[in-house]
Amino acid sequence: MSRNTPTRRRFLFQMAGAGAGCALLANRAVGAADFLKPLRVDNPLYAYPNRDWEKVYRDLYHSDSSFVFLCAPNDTHNCLLRGHVKNGVVTRIAPTYGYHKATDLHGNRASRRWDPRCCQKGLALVRRFYGDRRCKRPLVRAGFKRWVEEGFPRHPETAAVDPKYLKRGDDDWVPVSWDEAFRLSAQALRNIAETYTGDQGQQRLRDQGYDPLMVEATGGAGTQVLKFRGGMPPLGMTRIFAQYRMANAMALLDDKIRGKGAEGSVGARGWDNYSWHTDLPPGHPMVTGQQTVDFDLCNVEHANLALVWGMNWITTKMPDSHWMTEARMKGTKIVVISAEYSATANKADEVVIVRPGTTPALALGIAQVMVKEKLYDADYVRGNTDLPLLVRLDNGQLLRAAEVFPGYRAATLSNNTVVLAGGDPGPAIHAQPGPVIPAAKREEWGDYVLWDRKRGGPAALNRDQIGAHFGKTGLDPQLTGDVQVRLAGGGTVACRTVFDATRQILDASYTPEQVEKITWAPASAVRSLARQIAANPEKTLFVMGMGPNQFFNSDLKDRAVFLIAAMTRNVGKIGGNVGSYAGNYRASFFNGLGQYLAENPFDVETDPAKPARSKGYWKAESVHYFNHGDTILRHGKAVLTGKSHIPTPTKAIHVSNSNSLIGNAKGHYDTIVNLFPKIEFIAINEWWWTASCEYSDVVFPVDSWAELKYPDMTISVTNPFLYVFPATPLPRIHDTRSDVEVAAGVCKAVGKLTGDRRHDDYWRFVEQGGMRPYIQRILDHSNATRGHTIEDLEAKAADGVPAILETRTYPKIGAWEQGNENKPWYTKTGRLEFYREEPEFMDSGENLVVHREPIDSTFYEPNVIVAPKNHPLLRPRQPEDYGIARGDVSGDARQARHVVLSVDELMKTRHPLNADGYRFIFHTPKYRHGAHTTAVDTDIVAIWFGPFGDIYREDKRMPFINEMYVDVNPADAKALGIEDGDYVWIDADPHDRPFKHWQKNPEWYKVARLMARARYYPGTPRGVTRMWHNMYGSTVGSVQGSETNPNGMAKSPRTAYQSLFRRGSHQSCTRGWLKPTWMTDSLTVKGLLGQKVTQGFVPDVHCPTGAPRESMVKLSLAEPGGVGDQRLWRPARLGLRPTYESDLLRRFIAGRFAETTS
Amino acid sequence: MTKRYNWQLGREMEYPYDAPPPQRQVAYIFDTNKCIECQTCTVACKTCWTSGKGQETIFWNNVETKPYGGYPLQWDTKLLQITDPARWKGQRLETPTIFETDGEKHPPRGHRPVTEDYAAPNLGEDDITGTVDLGAHFGGVHPMWMFYLARICNHCDHPACLAACPRQAIYKRDEDGIVLVDQQRCRGYQECVKACPYKKTFFNLVSRVSEKCIGCFPRVEQGQVALCVESCIGKIRMHGFLSTREEPREDNPLDYIIKIKKLALPLYPQQGTGPNVYYIPPVHVPNGFLEQLFGPGVERSKQIYRALAKDKQLLGALLLFGATDRIITRFAVEKDEAVGWADNGEEVARVPFTEPVYIRNHYDEKHDVYRHNTT
Repeated sequence: MSRNTPTRRRFLFQMAGAGAGCALLANRAVGAADFLKPLRVDNPLYAYPNRDWEKVYRDLYHSDSSFVFLCAPNDTHNCLLRGHVKNGVVTRIAPTYGYHKATDLHGNRASRRWDPRCCQKGLALVRRFYGDRRCKRPLVRAGFKRWVEEGFPRHPETAAVDPKYLKRGDDDWVPVSWDEAFRLSAQALRNIAETYTGDQGQQRLRDQGYDPLMVEATGGAGTQVLKFRGGMPPLGMTRIFAQYRMANAMALLDDKIRGKGAEGSVGARGWDNYSWHTDLPPGHPMVTGQQTVDFDLCNVEHANLALVWGMNWITTKMPDSHWMTEARMKGTKIVVISAEYSATANKADEVVIVRPGTTPALALGIAQVMVKEKLYDADYVRGNTDLPLLVRLDNGQLLRAAEVFPGYRAATLSNNTVVLAGGDPGPAIHAQPGPVIPAAKREEWGDYVLWDRKRGGPAALNRDQIGAHFGKTGLDPQLTGDVQVRLAGGGTVACRTVFDATRQILDASYTPEQVEKITWAPASAVRSLARQIAANPEKTLFVMGMGPNQFFNSDLKDRAVFLIAAMTRNVGKIGGNVGSYAGNYRASFFNGLGQYLAENPFDVETDPAKPARSKGYWKAESVHYFNHGDTILRHGKAVLTGKSHIPTPTKAIHVSNSNSLIGNAKGHYDTIVNLFPKIEFIAINEWWWTASCEYSDVVFPVDSWAELKYPDMTISVTNPFLYVFPATPLPRIHDTRSDVEVAAGVCKAVGKLTGDRRHDDYWRFVEQGGMRPYIQRILDHSNATRGHTIEDLEAKAADGVPAILETRTYPKIGAWEQGNENKPWYTKTGRLEFYREEPEFMDSGENLVVHREPIDSTFYEPNVIVAPKNHPLLRPRQPEDYGIARGDVSGDARQARHVVLSVDELMKTRHPLNADGYRFIFHTPKYRHGAHTTAVDTDIVAIWFGPFGDIYREDKRMPFINEMYVDVNPADAKALGIEDGDYVWIDADPHDRPFKHWQKNPEWYKVARLMARARYYPGTPRGVTRMWHNMYGSTVGSVQGSETNPNGMAKSPRTAYQSLFRRGSHQSCTRGWLKPTWMTDSLTVKGLLGQKVTQGFVPDVHCPTGAPRESMVKLSLAEPGGVGDQRLWRPARLGLRPTYESDLLRRFIAGRFAETTS
Repeated sequence: MTKRYNWQLGREMEYPYDAPPPQRQVAYIFDTNKCIECQTCTVACKTCWTSGKGQETIFWNNVETKPYGGYPLQWDTKLLQITDPARWKGQRLETPTIFETDGEKHPPRGHRPVTEDYAAPNLGEDDITGTVDLGAHFGGVHPMWMFYLARICNHCDHPACLAACPRQAIYKRDEDGIVLVDQQRCRGYQECVKACPYKKTFFNLVSRVSEKCIGCFPRVEQGQVALCVESCIGKIRMHGFLSTREEPREDNPLDYIIKIKKLALPLYPQQGTGPNVYYIPPVHVPNGFLEQLFGPGVERSKQIYRALAKDKQLLGALLLFGATDRIITRFAVEKDEAVGWADNGEEVARVPFTEPVYIRNHYDEKHDVYRHNTT
C-alpha cells in the first residue's frame, strides 16, 4: 500500500455533510463562520489539515507545579500522592512512582513492583479538598454555648445537665473564633472534671445510675470521666496520638483540682482503636501471646497455596491485589473461602461458599481430617505447640512440673528471654532483645509436663525448649491416650494431652459431614482443603479477613485457624503463615511512642535535642463499654468484665480522626438517643462534615492531608514502608489548623483557666513551628525506626519516596523469629497454645477450641457451643449457675450463655425471633468504593457504588446521586414480593434496635429505622443479606432535608451533611456485644509496646472487640422501585437485571453471538 | 468502499477510506485476570479530562462487570442484536463487519443510546450468572461467574467514528495512530456516537459537540503512559506501540504479547474496526461467552496464561505491567529480572520475578538497637 495513492471514496452521506453540504448546513443553522472558512478534508484517515486545536488538551493537561502529600484513611495502605496545581488549585492527583526508590538503613531497596500506589478515593480527593462539606471554621452548638455561658446549670442533686441544652442534631451552629472554641472547651472540661471529683463527684455518678464498679474506677479523680480518642492513631503518630498526650496532660488539671502533685494526680482516659474497630483478632493473643500475626501481602508470591478466607482482598486491599494476581500467574493457587461469590472469587482457582459466622467450625472440620488422616506434622506439633502438654482431668489445669517432680525448680530461661527481678525496670524498649518477663510471673507459671514415650513417664518442659531446642532434649512426647501421673505430693492424677482432648471434640462434633451441616461447605471441600494444606507445609498462607473477625466467635476462629496452621508447619514462614487483615494498627512499630504520648507533664523536657522523661498519667480503656450503654458485663450475680478492664463513666469526649466512634458506630442510634443525653461535652476534630459532627458540641476544623503544615508519620501493616506526611506548600483552603494545634490549644486554654503554665511547656515545640523534635524522639526510641532522621525521611517523602521500616525482615513476616529461629512465643509455655486453663475460659467452655454459633446472625439458637456433652474437660457454667433462667435467650443474656449442643441438636433449634419473621442474616462488610466513608459521598466515586447510581436523579426519592442498598438472594426477595430496586424496610431485634425504647420515640424512630433499595444479588446464599459498611447514615438533619429540599436530597439544610440513606443506616441493625473471654484478668500477653509480658487488659491486644457484623433482620416492602406508576425500576423493566433477563441478555450470557469452527 | 486488510479478521474488509498505517500504532493490553474494578483509572481520567460542565455522565474510561454490566447500558448487546452472530472459520471471520452490513451508501451499522443509558454506569457490578443457593465448592471454569472489563477508546485501525463523521472532523494521527475528534470542527451530529461499536465517543450536552478519549496524547508525546495506565494499581495495563510498518518485534512487549504470543485479544473484533486495546481473557469464564467478545483465540490464550509459570520470557513481559509511568518500547528478560527501555534507550523499568527478601541482624550494632518483627 503506497502512502501516495490513498483511495478516496466516501459514503454518500458524507458527501452530503462536507462536500455538497452548504445548503444542508444552512438548514441546520450552523454559525456563519463556517461559510467563510470552508475546509475540505478528503481523507481523515490519511491526513488532517489543521491540528492546532490539539493545544486545547495540552493546556488542559498542563500544571504549574506539584507537591506530594500522604493519603491515609484507615485502609492500611497509606499512599504518597502527587497533587498537580494550576492557578493555585489542586486539579488532579497522581501516584508518585517513588516506591521503588525506597531504601532501608542498609541500602536495601524495594523494587518497581511496588509502583504505582493510589486508588480512586485518593485521586478523587481533589473534589473533597474543595468540597462543600469541608469543616471550614470553628463551630459551636448553640445549646452547648448557652450551657457554658449560663454557668453550667445542673440538676441540684445528680448534677445531670438539663436536656434543653442537649438538643444535639437539631440545634443551631454558631461560628466562633479559635480562641473562643478553645476557651469554651477548656471551661467545659474543667467544670466536668470538678463536678465528678471526690466523694461528692462519685456520689453524683452513682445517682445518675452508673455501675458502682465503674464509679469506683475513677478513684475520685474527675479527670477520669474525660475521654480522649485519636482514631487509628498510628495513622498520625504525633497528629492523632496528640489526643492521648492531651489525656496525659489532664493530670495537670487534676493537680489543680485535687492538689495531689506529680505523684498522686491522674490524667484522663484514652479509648482503644484496633479493638474498638473489631480489627484485633482476639484469639491471636490467646494462641501466641501477642497482638496479631500478619505479613505484608506481597508475601503471597512465596506460597503454593493461599487461602483468602473471609477477606474480599481485591476490594479492600486494592493496591496489593496485584501481588495476589501475579502470584497466581506464577503458579500460586488461590482459594477463596467466603460467605458469597465475592468480588475476589473471580480471581480464584477454587471457591468455597459457606454460611456466615461458621469459620471456627470449618477450621475444626479441617483439623479433624488432618488428625483422622494423620496429615499433621507430628514433630512440629511436639516441638512448637502445647498439644503434647498434659492437662489434669480433675481440675482442667495444665499439669506443672513442680506438681510431679519433688523439689522441682523452674528452669533458668536463656532463649532470647529476659527475666526481670522484682523492681528492675529492665532495658529500654529499643534495647529489649526478646520477651521480658517479671520473675514473679515466671515463677507463677512454672514449667509444664509431657509424657515421654521413650521413658514411659512424665518429663518437664520449659519455655526455652521450642523448635530445634526441643529436638535436642531427646524427648518423645505422647500425643494420644490418657495417662496416670504420680504427683510429688502423693497420689496420682489422670491426665490427657491437649492434642487428645482436642481430638475428642473433633471426632465427636467436627467430621466433614457434620461440618457440612454447620457451614454449608460440602464435606468433600473440607477434606480437600485439609489435604491441600497438609500437602503444602511452609507454603500455605492463611489470609484471614475482617469477615470472620466481626462475629462473636472471633477468638475461637483465630484459635481454630492457628490449630490447622500449626499442625501443618505454616506459622512464621514467608510462604506459610497466618495473617489477620482488618484495619491498620501496630502503633508498636513506633514503640518509643511513650516519649511523646506519655511525656511527664510535670517534668517537661524543653530541649529538643534531649529525650523526654515519660510518665503515663492517663489510663486506657475499651470504648466497647461505652458502646454497650456505658456499662460492663454483669450476668446474673456475676461480673464478667475483669477488674483490669473496668471503664469509668463517660461524661466528656474529645476525638480526632474518629467518625467510627459516633457517626459510624455499631448501634449508632442507641448511642445518640439513649447515651448522648448523659454526655456533657463532645468535641470533634474533622476536615469533612460527618455524622459525628452532626451530634457534637464543638467542631474543630482541621487540615486535610493536602494542607498539613507539620510533618507526621505512619506505617502500614500490609506493606513494609515507613511513611512521613511531608508538610505541604498548599495554602490552607479554609480557616483550619492541625490536630496538634487543637490539642495544644485546648490544653493551653485549660492552663489559662487554672493559671498553669506547664500546659504551655507541654506543647512548646508545636508553638515553635513544628513537630520534628517529638517525631525524632519517637524514631530514636523505637526498634523499627532507630537510625532514621525526620529530616531525611521528610525530604524523601516530599519527593514521593517512602522509607523501608527497619523490622527484622523485608518484607515483614509476622512471627519470623519464632518460625525460623526457635524463639519462644509470648505465652506462658513459650509455645503456640491451644488450651486455655484460665478460669474465664473454663467457665465459658472455651478452654478447648470449639465452634460457637454467632450471637445473633444465625438461623439456630445463638451462641451455642457445639461439642460433645461428655467431654471431661468441657464444663462451662450454666445459666442456673449465674442465676439466669435457662430459657432466657434475649440478646443481653446470650453474651454469657454457655449451652453445649451436638450438631444434630443444634440443627433442630431456631433463632428466637425466627417465628416473628427475622430470618435473614444481615452483614455489613466493606467495599471498594469507600475507605470507610472516605469519598463515598464524592460524586465521581459515589456514582460507581453499585447499580443505583444516577447523576440525573430521575428518581427524586434518592438521597444522593447514589444510595445504599441491601443485597438479597433473588429467590428470597421474590418470596417476600420484593422486586429488584424496590425500597424495603430492614428491621433487626426490636428489643434493642434501632435503639432501645424506640416504641416510645416516633421522631427518632423515623430517623433511625433503616430503609434502602433491595438489589437482587445472585451471589449471596439463601437467607443471607448484605449491606456495605461504607455509607453515611441518616441524621436528624438529613431526614429533614429529604422532606424539605425541593430536589429531595437527604442533605441537611443546616449543615450540608449528606446521607446516602433516606432513612436509617447500616448501623441501625447492629449493637455492642461483650464476650467474657475478651475481658479476662488472667490471659498472659505481651504489652502493646515493647517486649514486656503482662496479664489481663491491654488496649488493642486483650479487650472486647464486639460483633458488628451480626444481625438477624426482617425485610418488608416499603415502596416500589419504579418512578411514578412504574412497578419496576428501569433496568429491571429493560430486562437487564438478574432474573429479569431479556431474551437478548439471556442469549448473550449463553454465548449465542459467536460461533467458531476450524 | 476500499478494501483494507484487517489482520484481526484474517481477511480484507470494506472501509470508506484507505491510507497506509500510521508510523506506529498506540496500543494497550488489559489483563482481565488482574482487574479489580477499582475505577482508579476512571477517576484518573475523569479528574484530568472530563470534569467540566456537560461531562457529568461522560467517562472516557470505565470498568464494567460482565455479563450484567455495560456503560452505556447495553452498548454491546444492542449491536449484537442488530448484526449477525459472528461466525469464525479458524481465524477468519465469515460474517460481515459493521462497514459491510448495510453496504456502500450507508454508515456503519450502529445504534445511539438514549440519555438515561448513561445514568447508571456500574449497573451489574459483581452480579454473577447463576444464583448461589446455600454452600458451594468449585474450581477451574466457574459454574457461575462474572469478570471485569475495563474500557477506553480503542484507537482503531479502521475507526467507525471516523468513517461515520459527516464533517470529516475525526482523524487518525500519523505519528501514533491516536484517533481524535476535532473539538473546533465538530458540529455534534453524533454520527460517531451511533457508529462506534464501543460507544466510546460521547456527546457533550453543554458544548454540543462530541468528544472522546484522546489517548492522553499530551503524555504520549512526552513518552509517558496514559493516565488510566499510570494509575492502574491492579497493574493490569501495558501501554505502548504496535509495529505497523515492519514485522512484529520479539523485544517490543506489545508486539510480543499480542502478535507473536497471541495472548491478548481484541475486543469484538468481528465489528471490524481493528480495535487496539487487547485483552487477556479471564481464565475462569466459559469460552462460549468469551468468544463473543474476543474471537476465536480464547482457549489458546487461556492455555498460555495457565502455563505462564513455565514461560519466563512472556511472564517477564507481563511483570513489566505498571512498573513505570514511561512507555516501554523494548524489553528483555535478564536472569531473574525483566527490564524495559524507553524509546530513547533509557532503562525505565527493572523488576524482579520475586521481590527480594532481606533479613537484618537481630542486633543492629551501628544504631545500638534490636530489630524485631514483633515490636
